[in-house]
Amino acid sequence: MPAVKVENLEKDYGKVKALKGISFEINEGEIFGLIGPNGAGKSTTLKILSTLLAPTGGRAEIFGHDVVKEAPRIRELISYLPEEAGAYKNLTGREYLEFMAKLYAKNERDATKMIKLGVKLSGLRDRLDDKVSTYSKGMTRKLLLARALMVKPKLAILDEPASGLDIINAYTIRKTIREFARNEGVTFLLSSHNMLEVEFLCHRVALIDSGRIIDIGTPRELKERYDAENLEEVFMRAVGAGGGHYE
Amino acid sequence: MSDFWIMAKKEMKNLIRDKKLLFGLIIVPLVLYPAMGKLMQVGLEKAQGETHVAIANFDDGEYGMVLVKTLQNAPNVTVTLINASSVEKALESAAKKNQNVLVVIPRNFSESIRENKPATVELYGIFRSTSTGMKESVSEGRINAVIAVLSEQIARIKIQKLGVTSPDALLHPVRAESMSYLKNKIIPISPSVVSGVLASQSITLPIIVFLMVTITAQMAAGAIAAEKENKTLETLLTLPVKRTTIVASKITGTALMGLIAALAYMIGMRSYLGSLGVQSGISLSDLGLQITPEGMVLFALVIFLTIIFSLSLAMILAIFAQDVQSANTVVSSVILPLAFPAFILMYTGLGELPVEIRYALLADPFTHPIAAYQYMFSGNYTGMLTSIAYLAVLAALTLYTTARIFSTEKVLTAKIGWGRKS
Ligand SMILES: Nc1ncnc2c1ncn2[C@@H]1O[C@H](COP(=O)(O)OP(=O)(O)O)[C@@H](O)[C@H]1O
Ligand SMILES: [Mg+2]
Repeated sequence: MPAVKVENLEKDYGKVKALKGISFEINEGEIFGLIGPNGAGKSTTLKILSTLLAPTGGRAEIFGHDVVKEAPRIRELISYLPEEAGAYKNLTGREYLEFMAKLYAKNERDATKMIKLGVKLSGLRDRLDDKVSTYSKGMTRKLLLARALMVKPKLAILDEPASGLDIINAYTIRKTIREFARNEGVTFLLSSHNMLEVEFLCHRVALIDSGRIIDIGTPRELKERYDAENLEEVFMRAVGAGGGHYE
Repeated sequence: MSDFWIMAKKEMKNLIRDKKLLFGLIIVPLVLYPAMGKLMQVGLEKAQGETHVAIANFDDGEYGMVLVKTLQNAPNVTVTLINASSVEKALESAAKKNQNVLVVIPRNFSESIRENKPATVELYGIFRSTSTGMKESVSEGRINAVIAVLSEQIARIKIQKLGVTSPDALLHPVRAESMSYLKNKIIPISPSVVSGVLASQSITLPIIVFLMVTITAQMAAGAIAAEKENKTLETLLTLPVKRTTIVASKITGTALMGLIAALAYMIGMRSYLGSLGVQSGISLSDLGLQITPEGMVLFALVIFLTIIFSLSLAMILAIFAQDVQSANTVVSSVILPLAFPAFILMYTGLGELPVEIRYALLADPFTHPIAAYQYMFSGNYTGMLTSIAYLAVLAALTLYTTARIFSTEKVLTAKIGWGRKS
């Protein structure tokens, strides 16, 4: 059974067709990347899989459970990091992690373990006892990533985990994800418009543009298929934009 | 701990740590109201308490002295004697001594009384500055008080001169003993005091209910809109917590905070009104208006349902707003017009209104707490039960709608541009 199975998924926001029937599968333990430009439909796909939006066509399953009909069950399996997200400003970082851990943990011991892991993943040390309202963008993002991972979900859904951050913060976040995936064997679905980030993190990627999936494969397969140096070139050739062909 | 309590606790923690909210909910009622009351009280005490008069006696006969003596012995009057050669000098001296009123007994005072002519005294209100503060504005009242005391004393002197033994019986031949008749009982309390107590009760409660409804509605709306504004809503909705639990915990958290706020307002208000002397130390039970435990329970139920209704209505409205500020605007513009008509009941009972107006008022859920309050005293349990049934239906409908919206993607996508772009 695949971790994620998406079949002909469609989503209309009124007149805007954000998804025009996309399909892909993710294997258990894989880090799967959805890459594409702004407005391609990445966030929409991730929100449907996170039970936030209802698809207008097609279907999606996570570990065999339908995301619409079994939404409450899905929420127990996944952990979602939104593209634009904040934490409760009047709580301290530690209180935020404690609050979240209590909602996921079955008992006190589990909660303590989760919090310990969250503290470590956040890398915020003693700043965890300051209010979230005093955090920088990078610190908030680290806190949110820590809370998403500390519960050790079956599937982690991360929407542009490092976008909008400076290189140091972005690097730390990518490293945290990669190490966590290696140590815990959690399945990941993440989106990005940063092709290099995806190359660094993902086992397999899907290229998405204007609500359609153009191609799927490992970064190496794709580079060979399009005879390209990196995923950026792959993408440009896949969408048929003649990047740099002046001869 | 259940998910529900974990979330309700977080909700309260978040609200308690909000400095603006804390100021409006706790500091204002508990500190500002009583402080305002104290200020007013200081002013009123100055205005009402003792009557201070300065007297300059130019009379050479006996009656001038008698008048001074009787004034000195009169209750609530403090007399300062001024020795001066002329009226101007006396005024200067009185002004120096911070007196507000100077009474001048003229040279021919005793003579006029002896000859049974109307005797004249001159009264001067003394202004030391041109600012019209509280103190200056009451000078008139003081002068009148002094005149009343003077006339009575002069009348007394004249009557005594006629050889009457009990001047009081002649001065006040009729005395009224006022009592009140309320709910088939005679109460030995004057009607003005009774109506004062009733009025203060019928004003305080609507204001408290009004404040509580608007404050908790704003808090509930804020609790939803803040999730959008701070971008915590999407995460919240993907947590392994039932959507109904999320709604219930938000309502409970804000309702509990609302309760604390209402208590604070009640305490603050009581001390404010108390310092104004509205609270006459006479309670409703002194007036024979007994509240039965059943009545109290029913009344509490009415209040509870009203708050549930306004909280869930506020939450529905807030779902359409993108930030706290616009949520507050939206909620105010819906809840205030709904809550306002209830104030009519501050002046009249429901039963005294024309039928159409009565039913129009009763259709408005926010009039029910005040109607129920009146029902509670008249022992009209049917009325209260009807209110409860009506409010229960409304509260259930709005709660259901809130829960429904929360269980769909509308909670994320619903949006109305309130005059600005998001
Ligand atoms: N709530 C919404 N209402 C209307 N249109 C939307 C909404 N959210 C996204 N869209 C549109 O759907 C398309 C896909 O958006 P999105 O999934 O956010 O893309 P991406 O995450 O790849 O940048 C875009 O054209 C966007 O404008
Ligand atoms: Mg996006």
